[in-house]
Amino acid sequence: MTKEEFEQKLRAHPRPVVVDFWAAWCAPCRAIESVLEQLEKEYAGRVDTWKVNADEEIELLRSLHVYGIPTLIAYRDGKDVAKRTGAAPMATLASLFESALTGEPPKKMAPRFADRLLRLGVGLAVISIAVLSGLSGLHWLVAAVGTGIMFTAVYDRCPIWRALTAQFKRTSV
Amino acid sequence: MNPFVKFMASPAGRITRIVAGIVLVALGLLVMHGVGGIIVAIVGLVPLVAGLFDFCVFAPLFGAPMSGPKIRGGK
Repeated sequence: MTKEEFEQKLRAHPRPVVVDFWAAWCAPCRAIESVLEQLEKEYAGRVDTWKVNADEEIELLRSLHVYGIPTLIAYRDGKDVAKRTGAAPMATLASLFESALTGEPPKKMAPRFADRLLRLGVGLAVISIAVLSGLSGLHWLVAAVGTGIMFTAVYDRCPIWRALTAQFKRTSV
Repeated sequence: MNPFVKFMASPAGRITRIVAGIVLVALGLLVMHGVGGIIVAIVGLVPLVAGLFDFCVFAPLFGAPMSGPKIRGGK
């Protein structure tokens, strides 16, 4: 199948599609198989799943810039809205189906509340140990690591971080 | 999948690594002191950070991916 034929097929399809580029020999492809089956059932009638065998469609994969498998691409109205390469947990794969449904790029996964608490607690413990040991010389390094750990609990809510990463994304495009 | 890697990627394994890391950091900075203490503390930061951010540095040695979710997904 050529890229044009594939895109024509996508445009003619009435529902959004998540395309799974896979191969029989690929272990990570098998690892996500059951998760994909679950998501197929969950999104039945709203998002369809197509499977493309990477060994049989080498030219198509090349023209779509798919260089690793498993790769999942979410299409809505014939346009790709999200792409992911490699095995991933249920929530990440579900975000691709959501993207196909809404047309929005997948939201970045924020840490769970329990993870935030854990990072804050562990970071605080590391800083406390560094402070209790006298904060001299390389102890500062350990305290800095503790601060970094604490920051990862709240980084996605920090306006300075958001502004900096947005600026970086703009300059790297 | 290797049972050791499976355990390390489980919630119990992550907690074990975090606790072991904190113990090593505390041991290095509060008990041992000096350069040796600093080395033990830095070594302790490895399992601590790995457990906290859900990756396993030794998993590739057993032919498994480093990412915890990927290890659990490949069960």
